[in-house]
Amino acid sequence: MPDQPLQPFTSPFALFDRLRFSGSLPADGEMVIWALYAVFAFWAVYTIVAIYHWLKYSNASWIAFPSMAIHLYVSFALMSYALSGNAFFFSKYLP
Amino acid sequence: MKEFELEPGEHVVREARKHWLLFVVELLPFAILAILPFALPRLLVLAPPMAPYAAYFDYHTVLGRAGLGVWLLVVWTGAWGAFTRYFLNAWVLTNQRIATIKQRRFFYREVSSLLLPRVQDVTTNVHGILSSLLNIGNIKVQSAGAEIEFTMRGIPLPEQMRDLILKYVSAAPKSTGV
Repeated sequence: MPDQPLQPFTSPFALFDRLRFSGSLPADGEMVIWALYAVFAFWAVYTIVAIYHWLKYSNASWIAFPSMAIHLYVSFALMSYALSGNAFFFSKYLP
Repeated sequence: MKEFELEPGEHVVREARKHWLLFVVELLPFAILAILPFALPRLLVLAPPMAPYAAYFDYHTVLGRAGLGVWLLVVWTGAWGAFTRYFLNAWVLTNQRIATIKQRRFFYREVSSLLLPRVQDVTTNVHGILSSLLNIGNIKVQSAGAEIEFTMRGIPLPEQMRDLILKYVSAAPKSTGV
């Protein structure tokens, strides 16, 4: 058993101080924006992978392009809603 | 076909997928998740001890709106991913073979073929009231000799598919093994 007293936990953000990132740590509002961009980046990767599968394996089915177009339209509407509150056609259905 | 090269004289007779109703059932969890942020505040109000928490679901604030937008985006993308997997899973009957294409997840794809002259038995089964009413069932195709078995689950009009397979099995030239 170590005889040293327990150290209190420090905030994970203290890591930024150690890494000298404290000056560039975004404010709360900016944190939300960055979190949104992270989600959108994940969405972009997922969508690219799915589109790759549609193009490669759907055997040139007529449904491939409408499916991708609808997905992109709805997704951009939801992204726009998250960022600005304007969801194009869906605005009237959302608060 | 990109999954496999068709032989000279080979053509696709039918491409079958799971019945659309089974896909709709698969979409149900996504529908529930999409409704959840709208239903939850109303449900919380009904339970007095939890009622104060309903105030957290205010979508007129910037944070609330962003959260709702991201939630719906994730649910929508998940549902579209489910549709992609549904569509890319297929059974293809040609005049020479049966091929099953299984897209288990992205970058995980299995394509296997069974030559029609090797088909020994084709069994269909339709279980349950709903399956009987909507004519949804399974087809099991067994090959001669080796223990190869193809099962198509939840396809529409299984009897019609079985008859079609048997029609092409009888028309396919038998291998002499030489």
